[in-house]
Amino acid sequence: MRPLRWTSGLLAGAFALAATAAAAQTATVDLLERTRTHVETLASEAFQGRLTGSEGERLAAAYLVDELTRIGAKPLPGADGYTSPFSFTAGVRDGGSTLQLVREGGTPATFSAPDDVVALSFSDNGEVSGSLVFAGYGIVANVTPTEVYDSYAGLDVEDKIVVVLQYFPEDMDQDRRAALARYSGLRYKAQAARQRGAAGLIIVTGPRSPNAGQTVPMSFDSAIAGSGIVAASVSGRVADAIFEAAGRSLEEVQEGFDKGDPHAQGFEIPGLTVTLAADVQRERRTAHNVLAYLPATEPVDGVAKPWVVIGAHYDHLGAGEIGSSLAGAEDRNRIHYGADDNASGTAAVLAMAEALADEPRRRRHVLIAFWSGEELGLLGSSAFVSEPPVPIDQMAAYLNFDMVGRVSDNRLTVQATGTSDVWPRLLEQANVLAGFDLVLNEDPYQPTDVSSFNGAGVPSLTFFTGAHAEYHRPTDTPDLINYEGIVRVSELATTVVRRLMQADEPPQFVKVERTVETGGRAGLRIFTGTIPDYAAEAEGMLLGGVVGGGPADKAGLQKGDVIVEIAGQSIANIYDYTYALDLLKIGEPVKVVYMRDGERRETTLTPEARR
Amino acid sequence: MIARVIGALLLAAVALPAARPAAGTTPQAPTTDLPESTFLSRIRRLTVEGRRAGEGYWSSDGRKLVFQSEREPGNPFYQIYVLDFTTGETKRISPGYGKTTCAFFRPGSDQILFSSTHLDPRSRELQAEELAFRESGQERRYAWDYDPMMDIFVYSESTGELTRLTTEEGYDAEASYSPDGEWIVFSSTRNAYNRELSAEERKLLEVDPAYFGDLFIMRADGSDVRQLTDEPGYDGGPFFMQNGDIVWRRFDESGLIADVWTMKPDGSNKRRITDFGAMSWAPYEHPSGEYFFFSSNKYGFENFEIFIVDARGEKEPVRVTTSPGFDGLPVPSPDGRRLAFTSTRGGGSGSAGQIFLADWNHEAALAALAAAPPRVPHSQKQ
Repeated sequence: MRPLRWTSGLLAGAFALAATAAAAQTATVDLLERTRTHVETLASEAFQGRLTGSEGERLAAAYLVDELTRIGAKPLPGADGYTSPFSFTAGVRDGGSTLQLVREGGTPATFSAPDDVVALSFSDNGEVSGSLVFAGYGIVANVTPTEVYDSYAGLDVEDKIVVVLQYFPEDMDQDRRAALARYSGLRYKAQAARQRGAAGLIIVTGPRSPNAGQTVPMSFDSAIAGSGIVAASVSGRVADAIFEAAGRSLEEVQEGFDKGDPHAQGFEIPGLTVTLAADVQRERRTAHNVLAYLPATEPVDGVAKPWVVIGAHYDHLGAGEIGSSLAGAEDRNRIHYGADDNASGTAAVLAMAEALADEPRRRRHVLIAFWSGEELGLLGSSAFVSEPPVPIDQMAAYLNFDMVGRVSDNRLTVQATGTSDVWPRLLEQANVLAGFDLVLNEDPYQPTDVSSFNGAGVPSLTFFTGAHAEYHRPTDTPDLINYEGIVRVSELATTVVRRLMQADEPPQFVKVERTVETGGRAGLRIFTGTIPDYAAEAEGMLLGGVVGGGPADKAGLQKGDVIVEIAGQSIANIYDYTYALDLLKIGEPVKVVYMRDGERRETTLTPEARR
Repeated sequence: MIARVIGALLLAAVALPAARPAAGTTPQAPTTDLPESTFLSRIRRLTVEGRRAGEGYWSSDGRKLVFQSEREPGNPFYQIYVLDFTTGETKRISPGYGKTTCAFFRPGSDQILFSSTHLDPRSRELQAEELAFRESGQERRYAWDYDPMMDIFVYSESTGELTRLTTEEGYDAEASYSPDGEWIVFSSTRNAYNRELSAEERKLLEVDPAYFGDLFIMRADGSDVRQLTDEPGYDGGPFFMQNGDIVWRRFDESGLIADVWTMKPDGSNKRRITDFGAMSWAPYEHPSGEYFFFSSNKYGFENFEIFIVDARGEKEPVRVTTSPGFDGLPVPSPDGRRLAFTSTRGGGSGSAGQIFLADWNHEAALAALAAAPPRVPHSQKQ
């Protein structure tokens, strides 16, 4: 037999590839520089962190309109221009809530905002009056299939005002705490009280809890809808006055509940009438999505679902006015530049628009969307799908880009792949050329605009290059961006869009069941300083980084470590981890088991209070 | 994964649960292992679609890869696909029904061989049974069944014509071409079906059909079949080397220990290349002819890693991958600069195994092999 020289037969292929690469070189350099300009401009001082509804948002929108005009994209059919306004709740404050306690035969004591009473941000406005009932932690939950934890057992709260503790029992066994933690959110508590006919709800942060005696800050992230009940949190001073009237020590009472003492029950507080007046001031403002399209190059008559949508949110956190800022106290008021989040995704969509504008044959229209209000709760994309300028059932697919500027280790995560059976094939084909180490995640219930489209039944994908220590901090700056990575992501996604544009049949939507209950969690009271790598599907929770000086950093954990156990709870994935966070106690060291370089290691982490 | 051998792993784990290989008792990797990045860079997942994929083999110009994947709608078994690196397109070349495995490009031609059971009249019935089983939510270990209906076929990319090359009863698969494209070496269990078996042999065929696997060689048209091995235990996964010799892996009678061997294409000069005391399989020669790739569970019963060993087997193998889970079926590109392999490292939807691609550092491999200590026979390592 004839031996084959190992280099033979290859040269032709190698030359062909080299030639293609050289031809592509010039275009790539331009694209790279332009992408850098997009990110550096959007994430510059002048744009002030692009807070929804702000001057910075307006400047950013104007920049995008200029770029879309330059690229040759058109305003949507029937639209006056590129910007599409929507209104939103820009802020919430307590406009002067009051609480009056009247003891039988005594002098009324009046407490007021902001020191002693603060309305819950979702409270109804109004005044209610009645006698008081203390209902423990105010939780109703199945702790086991056969055991119901019911703070209201044996209590009649109809037309009364209910006083409950914030959080959940601190000292019960972990399984019970885990179950209770899930139902300890203030919205759950308000719902439980309202469903039992209570007239009002008062939240007390007990002396044994984190942030003891403090009122609950109003957060306008959750201020969108009313809860059908007048509700406020009160200071320790008010709580003491209430429990003094009942002749009980709040600390002792709370201890009974914390320990799961079966005799710890709620009780009426006799001889005391309370009048609670809640005043929640919501400020409405206008924000702007920026929308455009590249028309199909031939008539779309007879083309099923003739729109492909690509989008990215361009808003960010301003100077940290929003509750989701993770800035430390020292840079609380600094501009949050949001270079990765999400100037990167915005730049990727611009790069795609530019590439697709040159496409000689487009059988479908490409709708280009830049969302505002994402950081406040997907407001822009929600407004779009609830009043779509193009019928939703005419949209073949939506591709979303949120944080694609930090490609490292050649890795790219694509989420929501469960929304259609076509995604794995399209991504495989596109990635043969792009060459990413792809990580796929089927779950479309992601904290980004892809959720809005999944909810509307549009097959969707969202691209993501991983979390990092600068996430939602002023340090998310352009110098840390991998510009070549953004270009590569846009090229991969452009290949996918090309195929979607040309396909005879649009993708079929597949509804992915929601696997994890994400609402109502109370874990936010705990700060561990870990930055999960949401992309990872490893056994355990891979750290994308740690917050400098935070508990994880102090414990010696670092990027790349995989947490497999915390406080005795085994961690198989990020959901286990967030769940386990509810079990941690502030200031109480816990054992953390993690894998580093294939080796199992242990450390001790001491959680801190998030504030 | 992976017909070219994984069945043996299953056999070891399922049929003989009490017996664990010596390797399983020494899971600690020596501290001298080099990090994976010494040899592999730009590691990336190549196949995405379908439940699992594996056995990627390059065309001789390095522009295509043929592989098997469970991605055909309505068929839970492997079908054969050709991926074109220049377009990203993937095309099925097998019939779409039945089971298939082990494809290989014929050098200097438009032909691709693979093994298939599609002539089995029960093919669609078996697909439905398997789908129903999966639907039921029950689980079992992945097992390769050495289907005796498996025969070798050759497909022409220009005409789409499929030609049958073997007709014997028994599993005919794990086939590959000689460098000149004129010969095919393959593994077959035909000797378990062409004669009266003893009671003991019948029982063995029940639990471990691969035991009857031996190597055969034939011309590219299926003629002139000659048997190359006749030892007890599974001989399989044969590939031609650049000099026309054959490299393959041989299991011992227990089915737990396998090692890499080489021989002349006439079956003479059989030479043991590894003596690693573990399940060491899927050997493939680097195009330089300087060393072989293979995978082994040396460091943990289910933790297969990729190793390299010098062409003469004079030194201890050098470990290449260091990721948990399965890394195996290493196949270098014809220019020797890239490596396709099958891995579970993707996790999630890729946890059943998909094909990965990485850039291969040939110089680092040569340096590591030069620094490797002389081979120590396994018996003396105890």
